[in-house]
Amino acid sequence: MDISDQLETQKSKYETITVEKQIPLQYDLALLAAFDTNALDESRLKNDRDNYLKEYARDGTQLLINQIFKLPITSSEMGILAELPEQITVIPREKPLPKPKPPTRWERFAKAKGIQHRKKSKMVYDEATGEWVPRWGYKGTNDDGANDWLIPVPQTEDPFEDQFSKKREAKKERIAKNEARHKRNIEEAEAVLNQPKGADTRSLRKVELQRQIAISKTATASIGKFDKTLKGESKLKGVKRKFEPSIGDVRKEKELSLNILKKVVGKKGDIVNVRKAIAKRDQ
Amino acid sequence: MLKKIKPKNARSKRALQKREPKIEENVKKAIFIRSSSTNQLVNEALSDLCKLKKPDAISFTKKNNTIHPFDDDTSLNFFCEKNDTSLFVIGSHSKKRPNNLTFIRMFDGQILDMVEVGIENAKPLSEFKTSKCAIGIKPLFLFVGDLFENSLVYKTFKNMLLDFYHGQTVKNINLSGLEHVISVTAIDSSSEQSSDPRAIPGIVYFRVYTIQYKKSGEKTPRVELEEMGPSYNFRIRRFKFANDDVYKLATRIPKINKPKKIKNIDVNEMGDKIGRIHLGKQDLSKLQTRKMKGLKRTTEDYTEVDLEEMEEIPPIKKQKAS
Repeated sequence: MDISDQLETQKSKYETITVEKQIPLQYDLALLAAFDTNALDESRLKNDRDNYLKEYARDGTQLLINQIFKLPITSSEMGILAELPEQITVIPREKPLPKPKPPTRWERFAKAKGIQHRKKSKMVYDEATGEWVPRWGYKGTNDDGANDWLIPVPQTEDPFEDQFSKKREAKKERIAKNEARHKRNIEEAEAVLNQPKGADTRSLRKVELQRQIAISKTATASIGKFDKTLKGESKLKGVKRKFEPSIGDVRKEKELSLNILKKVVGKKGDIVNVRKAIAKRDQ
Repeated sequence: MLKKIKPKNARSKRALQKREPKIEENVKKAIFIRSSSTNQLVNEALSDLCKLKKPDAISFTKKNNTIHPFDDDTSLNFFCEKNDTSLFVIGSHSKKRPNNLTFIRMFDGQILDMVEVGIENAKPLSEFKTSKCAIGIKPLFLFVGDLFENSLVYKTFKNMLLDFYHGQTVKNINLSGLEHVISVTAIDSSSEQSSDPRAIPGIVYFRVYTIQYKKSGEKTPRVELEEMGPSYNFRIRRFKFANDDVYKLATRIPKINKPKKIKNIDVNEMGDKIGRIHLGKQDLSKLQTRKMKGLKRTTEDYTEVDLEEMEEIPPIKKQKAS
């Protein structure tokens, strides 16, 4: 039985989906875009612009939809999905490509020595207790016997020294050292990422440290004049301490003090939050 | 320049991480902003264009005296950094340049491209009493006219419109989610001479239609359009494009996204996949041909090795049947 005739009659009931164009359209289906370079009918555009544009857009849209419906299809819970091809049109990015993270000191050392990362399981078997315990962290194995109930005093050590606190201190020190290194790594990485051309990390770090020293000096009334000097510390330039005269204008002094009070207490001078205070009293 | 913020808690850290440069970028957000003086037409145009861009759009409803993108870009840089946006539409209205819109896109906090257009024959979204498309749906684009191919200004304007409205980059698209089409037609004809002395030749018709699907008797439906609005005729006035170095930097493709070149497999113009296979040199001496007495190896052909092998194997004697 030939059903092609039936199909034809079925089709002819509806309007066609084919559109004739002199120059075929270009498509960028990743953007769902079609580009038509055919010439428009100028007389129609002048006399019946909106209708003509709509008709023209319909034809173009039909062609675009035809192309989209030809794409490979997968059906899912969301509906029928068409797989889009690679984008052809180049659209500029919003931000530059991310820079790769600079390696830490350890990573550089490991690379130079050819040390490769081996994956270790987080839990290790503790033979003494017969249990699985974490390699590090809470209840971990690397506490170096800090939780032991008895520690033998080494022969060379002072017998009256507290070995427990000694171990605790040693661990604290190790942690602090590690943290300092972590901080240094971060600072160095930041300096590498943000450095202007030609500047090295060492000098950038030096400048940053000097800035921090200058900030810390403001903590004392003398701006660090009588502070203990650090090793190799240079004298700060351009730092002046201004002293007000101890006898002089009373009004000016009052104004100054009031200004400070205003800054501390608040602009409106509301020291007490009345609503809160009432609520407190009613309790 | 904004001060670099150091996150104090995990939430702000996450928020800052979202703003960092990434290989797969976020959707570009747009700010719709008013200059020092605007009129009703420009305000409506800004709000309508903003509605089309929603949800990745921020509408600034106060007027801003300091925004003159072609002279000074400091306030734009500030807004860009503060809101993490890279697209701007600035509306203004003055005697010199009436009904003015400036489309701006930025890269790395600096202005990349700017195109200024004057609006003619504006019809706002509210004037069309038809059904609108849902928010956040990817539009279809239709660019008509050879100006979009031949003129650099129009080509960039096309690219900018695509940049503004294409939305999220996706691998799959829901076929039932194609609701509207943005049709942009550019023509440079004698009948459309401009009265605007500051405009470059040519006119751009910006139209938005909703799509209705009808039965066609085939798998692909028949398409009918209905104008949804807004509708504008644009005249391009001033423009400023990025220099080549910056543009190159902005269009760099990350290494991961570059498709790996597959050796020896080509696709020709007809779309046929053609593969090349390399075989070693064929040893024709061992080729099995028809056996003939004349081609049999003679004793001279045998090497010493062959002869040794033959000696090792004792000849099998045929036993006589007793």
